[in-house]
Amino acid sequence: MSGYPEYMQGLLKLVEETRPDRVGKALRAMNAEEKEQILRDWHPDYKMDQKRKLKIGSSAGELMPHEVADTLEAHPVIKPGDIDLSNVVYDVDVLVIGAGGAGLSASLTAIEHGVAPDNVLMIQKLRLGDANSKMSQGGIQAADAPDDNPTIHYLDVIGGGHYANKPDLVEAMVKEGPDVIKWHEELGVTYDKLEDGTMQLAPGGGTSRKRMHSCKDYTGLEITRVLVDEFINKEISYVEFTSAVELVMDDKGQVAGAVLWDMDHDDYTVARAKSTILATGGFGRLHIQGFETTNHYGATNDGVVMAYHVGANLRDLDSTQFHPTGAAYPAQIVGQLCTEKLRARGAQPLNNDGVLFVYPLETRDVEASALIRECYGREKGIVTPTGMRGVWLDTPLIDVINGEGTIEREFAAMFRTFNKFGIDIREEPMLVYPTLHYQNGGVEINVQCETNVPGLYAAGEVCGGIHGKNRLMGNSQLDLYVFGRRAGRFSAERAKTATLGDLTLDHLDVYEKMLADAGVVTDRKAPTLLPEYRGKRTLEHQLKML
Amino acid sequence: MRLAYYPGCTMKTDAKNFDESTYSAAEALGIELLEPTRWNCCGTVHALAKDNVMNYLAPIRNLIRVEQMNEAELVDDKRVVTQCAMCYNTLKRANADAKADPDKMGKIRDFMEKEPNYQGSVNVVHMLELIKGLGWDEVKSKVVKPLDGLKVFPYYGCLLLRPREYGIDDPDHPTVMEDLFEALGAEVVDNPYKAKCCGAYHAVHLKEVAADLSYRILRQAQEAGADIIVTACPLCQFNLGDRQNEIKKHQREFEGIPVVYYTQLMALAFGKEGTGFEQNIPDPVPVLEEKGLL
Amino acid sequence: MGENESEMVTIHVMGKKHEVPADLTIMKAMEYAGHQFRRGAGCRGGYCGACAAMYRVKGSYKLEGALACQKIVEDGMYIAQIPFSPAEKITYDLSELKPDANTFLEYYPEISRCLSCNTCTKACPQDIEVMDYVQASLRGDVEGAARLSFDCIGCGLCAVRCPAEIVPYNVGQLARRLNSRYVIGPTEHVLKRVGEVEAGEFDADIDELKRSDRKTLQKRYESREVKL
Ligand SMILES: Cc1cc2nc3c(=O)[nH]c(=O)nc-3n(C[C@H](O)[C@H](O)[C@H](O)COP(=O)(O)OP(=O)(O)OC[C@H]3O[C@@H](n4cnc5c(N)ncnc54)[C@H](O)[C@@H]3O)c2cc1C
Ligand code: SF4
Ligand code: SF4
Repeated sequence: MSGYPEYMQGLLKLVEETRPDRVGKALRAMNAEEKEQILRDWHPDYKMDQKRKLKIGSSAGELMPHEVADTLEAHPVIKPGDIDLSNVVYDVDVLVIGAGGAGLSASLTAIEHGVAPDNVLMIQKLRLGDANSKMSQGGIQAADAPDDNPTIHYLDVIGGGHYANKPDLVEAMVKEGPDVIKWHEELGVTYDKLEDGTMQLAPGGGTSRKRMHSCKDYTGLEITRVLVDEFINKEISYVEFTSAVELVMDDKGQVAGAVLWDMDHDDYTVARAKSTILATGGFGRLHIQGFETTNHYGATNDGVVMAYHVGANLRDLDSTQFHPTGAAYPAQIVGQLCTEKLRARGAQPLNNDGVLFVYPLETRDVEASALIRECYGREKGIVTPTGMRGVWLDTPLIDVINGEGTIEREFAAMFRTFNKFGIDIREEPMLVYPTLHYQNGGVEINVQCETNVPGLYAAGEVCGGIHGKNRLMGNSQLDLYVFGRRAGRFSAERAKTATLGDLTLDHLDVYEKMLADAGVVTDRKAPTLLPEYRGKRTLEHQLKML
Repeated sequence: MRLAYYPGCTMKTDAKNFDESTYSAAEALGIELLEPTRWNCCGTVHALAKDNVMNYLAPIRNLIRVEQMNEAELVDDKRVVTQCAMCYNTLKRANADAKADPDKMGKIRDFMEKEPNYQGSVNVVHMLELIKGLGWDEVKSKVVKPLDGLKVFPYYGCLLLRPREYGIDDPDHPTVMEDLFEALGAEVVDNPYKAKCCGAYHAVHLKEVAADLSYRILRQAQEAGADIIVTACPLCQFNLGDRQNEIKKHQREFEGIPVVYYTQLMALAFGKEGTGFEQNIPDPVPVLEEKGLL
Repeated sequence: MGENESEMVTIHVMGKKHEVPADLTIMKAMEYAGHQFRRGAGCRGGYCGACAAMYRVKGSYKLEGALACQKIVEDGMYIAQIPFSPAEKITYDLSELKPDANTFLEYYPEISRCLSCNTCTKACPQDIEVMDYVQASLRGDVEGAARLSFDCIGCGLCAVRCPAEIVPYNVGQLARRLNSRYVIGPTEHVLKRVGEVEAGEFDADIDELKRSDRKTLQKRYESREVKL
């Protein structure tokens, strides 16, 4: 039984017919000029009409997608007068905002560095761990194999990021990679291993070694749930279903906590903290250029907005990562991630003739561009019943190459998801199209995770600089833990000596003034906090990307 | 002969030595024991209240697994071999009750949905019954190291023998272990306490009662001149063996006596590795060495 | 073709009736009906278990469990969200535990109440053999419990349905951490590399790369050896 409509059956036949000949075949990777060309012609980042120069703040003049600029050229959600800053409900050493991988590891590390568990406060919009971090399927990079090392990893990261990365950050990341894996294993994370007890490593787009560690295709789930479990073991204080809506400052110009919004009761409270860590993740739910996204519900760019309100520097927000393979069919799961590891294990992208048209493991930006070109440049896509275009991702090859049972074992999540909608990916290919995946840029940090504003730290996807203009698969999962732990450690150190002055929200008035001075007239408010899908918008949203 | 073997949870935790030696003994007898790939607790913690279908789900589900093994031709017949006395008792009774009551069987089937219907074809047997069925001559023929000079005190406890209709032997005068140990070359010390309750039912609530009952049996064994006590039930083993440390605190003159599972001595007599003596309390090795058996 | 013509079905969300397009998931159908999630939504991709829901379809006695982001609506569905499963997660120090049955029984003694009724398995939207992993933990089969529970996303539906009031997902989490830490253990080559990094073995090479200009880097990058 095919999971695809009748009219696609002929096209599916072509895939099947060409499959035997494609086993073990790969097109060569593109050279530097070809890559540049295809990016310029087809990558969404290079569509200049989809971006504008920011009008206000320290990043004024920098190009960024309209959707991101919209959240920065917007009024704060609260006004200073709305909040009674003398009513401090939480008074702690370290405040962590966001319970994804970065926030959880920051909290765990802060207490290792001497902060009492009840002196760390975690504020989380959703449930602990419900975050992009939990969704990672493919894996995490770390240069621990005998034929690999951190130097080789460094070169991969910096070349993949088009040399725009901050070298110190890259150095910290690649060097601490193996230690992160060690830490995870001590905590009881189960990585895939070979029979001889060594790690089962896979390649990823743009890696020169097999360096991807995985936990079936539930890598993020496995790591995150272990961290949550440990977080609870350590009895660190936390509040779920509460969002930070603004950072609070003191009269010495330091960040000194945050205003919190209790989402059950629509109440505002104040948390004062000597160090504040932003770990709010990315912006997928802004749907840049109308793209569907792989991101979780809470990924609304809040961290970048709050940081900008207190004057933090931003960088690299002009570049956005589109994952080459989001689901294009069935409509219910459009945009959801089909992990890169599928290609690493042998699945090939094919056009409507069943022909392989790109080296499957180009860096993500190049791979995504090639898919878009195939669909809209060469008109070789497959059109879905909702009018969307996509290309095949020939998953049955995985079992052909690696032996029967591989898909079920290594891609349990993918297999399950597609099965629910009647598609058996052992037998039939997936239909895929690029999807909005990752925010490459963000708040600028140094190796101690400090921003330029005293008292404010940042870690994880909310930061910019580590991955330059393009992140390689598996390096985000790594950066979370490297910099999450660093943020925990250095914020704890700071809290030991920092003293706070009087709390203030005056910076919001300053921001309003900047908006007015720049002539921004709008009724937009940010941070966005919750995406808006009510009513017909659910459908419009599906249509918008066609 | 390939037979389904239902170990039960205790065999995988506190009675690993019973489990291990069961495999060793069976192998020597040419029996391949196969565990179902999936099995659950026999259900024993909930005494089989006749009117509660819920309590039948666990045992019947295990019997379904055995029927599945038969269907897949993994085993040679419809018997399932049990070893733990609790499991034996629970599976045996649940099987009989369900087969006897179509109404109950119907309810069980309805509730289970996802599972195939239980056809009632499984025959629950205890390992001792299986061995007896082979014939004592057959057992004797496998002995490579007769248990010469070892004075054995067999202890049955209650669950193997009661209630009468499910017992493996005459509840008042059981002989199966006596016959077995004679075949293995040991000297059997017969005793009136062999089918008396060891107090396991009180093990949790009434520790002193249990300790007292155990002590009486141990003393009886020693007075009868036994070198070693043999059990066929993890609970008896615990009460008579592991509990001796506690008993010694109250009974200063008591010196202790080793207690082992019958399969451990079978494995020894059959010359097999995998006797599991290291898990026994008190340590039976000194006695066995003294008798020249180790 | 296209949404505009999609067929409509009737669903009842917490008792309120709505007409929604037939091809939406429960989550999108609720949004279509005007709901903005605060609780009960997470990754929206089947990885986090935040959107647990239960439903019955008109004419059927069966109470089904599902993830709202993965389940397509059916005509006559009665839906309740179960965004929270009331349960205590026991705290422990992993480094002090033993990977055996007693550990499970000490922290979650209620597992010995398991009736093997399999209700948990039937409720699980991940099609996990929940009963089997509870049973495996009960007999100290740490590896089995870890393997069988691996795909658990902690939606809580099994715990809500269990007549013995067991919280299977907590048991599974304990099993997996025990299994990784004690049964599988650390990885030699990872430990070795950590030692090398700490000894500064790569510092000079990385320093050199950090000091290189873009051109040199680009050259090194493009000519780097690829061993996959
Ligand atoms: C589907 C998917 C697959 C991926 N696969 C991989 C992979 O295989 N390898 C890899 O390296 N990377 C992968 N990534 C990227 C990587 O997982 C993310 O970049 C990373 O997890 C981000 O971690 P984080 O801790 O910074 O943010 P998150 O994990 O997103 O956590 C941020 C948390 O903060 C909360 N939050 C947001 N705003 C607020 C607020 N105002 N107040 C309070 N809380 C707030 C959010 O709700 C969220 O829970 C993937 C990402 C996705 C979406
Ligand atoms: S095992 Fe329980 S908590 Fe885990 S996914 Fe299944 S129903 Fe949800
Ligand atoms: S629902 Fe509870 S009692 Fe029933 S099998 Fe599952 S864990 Fe055991």
